[in-house]
Amino acid sequence: MTSAALIHVVVSGLATGCIYALMALSLVIIYNATRTLNFAQGEMLMISTFVAWSVQRAFGLPLIVTLLVAIVAAAALAFVVERLVVRRAIGATHWDVLIITLGFSLALQAGAGLLWTHDQFPFPSFFSNRPVALGPVRIAPASLGIIGASLAIMLALAALFRWTRLGRAMRAVAQNQRAARLMGISVERVYSLAWVLAAVVGAIAGVLVAPVVFLSSKMGLVVINGFTAAVLGGFGSMPGAVLGGMLLGVLENLAPLYLPTSIRYSVPFIVLIGILLVRPAGLLGRVERRKV
Amino acid sequence: MRVLLVALMALLVAWPWLAPRYFVFLASLILVNAVVAIGLNLLSGYTNQLSFGHAGFLAIGAYTAALLTIHAPAVPVPLTLVGAGVLTAAVGLAFGVPCLRLSGLYLAMATLAFGFVITEAILGLEGLTRGADGLRVPVARLGAWPLATDTARYYLVAAVTVLLVAAALNLARTRTGRALLAIRESEIAAEASGVPVARYKSIAFGVSAFYTGVAGGLFAFVVGFLSPDAFDVFLSVDFVVMIIVGGLGSVPGSIVGAAVVTVLHDSLAAFQNYRPLIFGVILVACMLFMPGGITSAARALARR
Repeated sequence: MTSAALIHVVVSGLATGCIYALMALSLVIIYNATRTLNFAQGEMLMISTFVAWSVQRAFGLPLIVTLLVAIVAAAALAFVVERLVVRRAIGATHWDVLIITLGFSLALQAGAGLLWTHDQFPFPSFFSNRPVALGPVRIAPASLGIIGASLAIMLALAALFRWTRLGRAMRAVAQNQRAARLMGISVERVYSLAWVLAAVVGAIAGVLVAPVVFLSSKMGLVVINGFTAAVLGGFGSMPGAVLGGMLLGVLENLAPLYLPTSIRYSVPFIVLIGILLVRPAGLLGRVERRKV
Repeated sequence: MRVLLVALMALLVAWPWLAPRYFVFLASLILVNAVVAIGLNLLSGYTNQLSFGHAGFLAIGAYTAALLTIHAPAVPVPLTLVGAGVLTAAVGLAFGVPCLRLSGLYLAMATLAFGFVITEAILGLEGLTRGADGLRVPVARLGAWPLATDTARYYLVAAVTVLLVAAALNLARTRTGRALLAIRESEIAAEASGVPVARYKSIAFGVSAFYTGVAGGLFAFVVGFLSPDAFDVFLSVDFVVMIIVGGLGSVPGSIVGAAVVTVLHDSLAAFQNYRPLIFGVILVACMLFMPGGITSAARALARR
C-alpha cells in the first residue's frame, strides 16, 4: 500500500471519526449534566435528519435552511422528551433513565420506519464527493468538509463551556449538583439545556453524515460508535470524546486493510471490550471515586 | 399460596390436553423465555448488572445443543442441555469476570457489544454453524424415545423449567442468595459486612449464563431451526422488557413478564412494524407508572 493511499484512508477515517466524536460529545454533554446515558441519542439524530429531509423535499429549501430545520426539530424533540418524560423520573436511578431512553429508541426507530419506511434515501451534501488531487494524494472534499465543520463545532462547544454563563453553570452541575443549586443555578434548566444542546450537536452530525451513509431508520445505530468513542477517550471527558472518536474512525477504516474485511462492523465492539478490559477509565478519563 | 401452586402445576401438566396444538408450542416458548428471564433477573434484579447481551448467551446455548445433537446423537437430552448450560456459563464467566470492573452503563454497553460479536461469530464460523443459511436442529432423543411432537417437547421444557424455577426460588435461602440480596440492597453495605462482592457478582454472571444456556438448548429443540438473525439485539431487549414488565428481582415476575412479552409478540406477529413501537412505549410507561413491574403492582393492589 502506497503512503498516498494510506493518507486517503486515514483522512476518510478521520471524517468518520468526527461524526463519532460529535455523537460522543452529545452523549457526554447529557451525561455530565444529568449522570444518565441517553440511549436514544442516535434515533433523535435520525428523526431530526428525516424531518429536515422531508421539509427540504416539500419546499425545495437551500441546504443551509435544511440544516436549521434539523437543528430546530432536534432541539424541540429533546426539549419535549426531557421535559415530559425524563424529568418525571428525576429521582430515578441512571438505569431507569437508560431503560426509558431505550424504550424511546425502539419507539422512534419503529415510528420512523412507519412514517418514512425502512428504505435508504440519498441526502444532499454541502460538499462534493469527487476526489481532488492534493499532490499525489487524492482526497474527497466531503471528508475535508466534515472534518472542518466538526472541528468548528467542537471549538464552539469548548468556548461555550469555558466562557459563557451557561457553560459555567453546566460545569458546576457536573461537579457538584447540590453546591450548584446552592449557588442559585437552576439544575432543572441545566438538564433541559443539556438535552437541547446535545440534540443540536447530534442534528448537525446527522446532516453531515447523511449524505455519506444515506438516510435511513437504522442511522441511529451510530450511537453505539459514539458511546465506544466516548469510553475510549474516557467517559465524561470532552477532549476524550473527540480523541476517542477520531481514533475509532481511523481504526475502523484501517482494520479492513490488514484483517478480513468483515471485521469492519465488529471494530467498535472489539475496541469497546478491549478498552474496558485494559483501561476502563479511558485514555483521558479519571477513575471516579464515590464517596460513601 | 400452596393451593395456587398446586393449581398452577396441574394446569402445566394438563395444558397439552386443554389447548390446541399451536398453543402448546406457544406455551413452550413462554417457558423457555421464562427461564431466560429468571436468569437475567438473577443478574439484573439481584446484583444490579444490566445485560443487553442475553440473546448472545441464548445463541451459545442453542448452537451448543444443536451441534451436540447433530454430532453426538446418542447423548440423552438432559446431558445435552447441561452441556449447553455449562459451556454458556463458562463463556459467561470468561466475559463477566473482567466486566466486574464495570458498573451500570458500561456493563450494559459491553454486553450489547458482546451480543453483536456473538452473532458476527455465528456468521463467521460457517463451517460449524452454517452461517446465515441457518442450522436445522435434529429431533431430541430421550433414550429410545424421540421427542418429535410439540407435546413431547412441551413436557421436556416444562420439566426443566419447573426444576430451574424451584432452584431459583430456593436460591434466596442459601448463603449465595442472601449475599446477592445484600448486594442488591447496597453494594457498599454488603462489602462492609464482609460479603465478597466481586466473587458473588461473578457467580451471578455464571448462574445467569447457565440458565440462559439451558434455555438456549430448549429453544433449539422447540423451534427446530437456528439462524443468527433470530438472536439479534432486539431479542436481548425483549428479555430486558420481560424483567422490567414483570418486576426486577422477582422469580414469579420473570415468568409473568415472559408470558406477557411472548404472547404480545405472538399476537403482534401480523404487525411486525408496530412491534418495537409498542414495546418501546410499554418500556417507558412501565418505568414511569409501574416501576416495580406487574408483581409489585399486584402486591400493592392486594394490600388495599
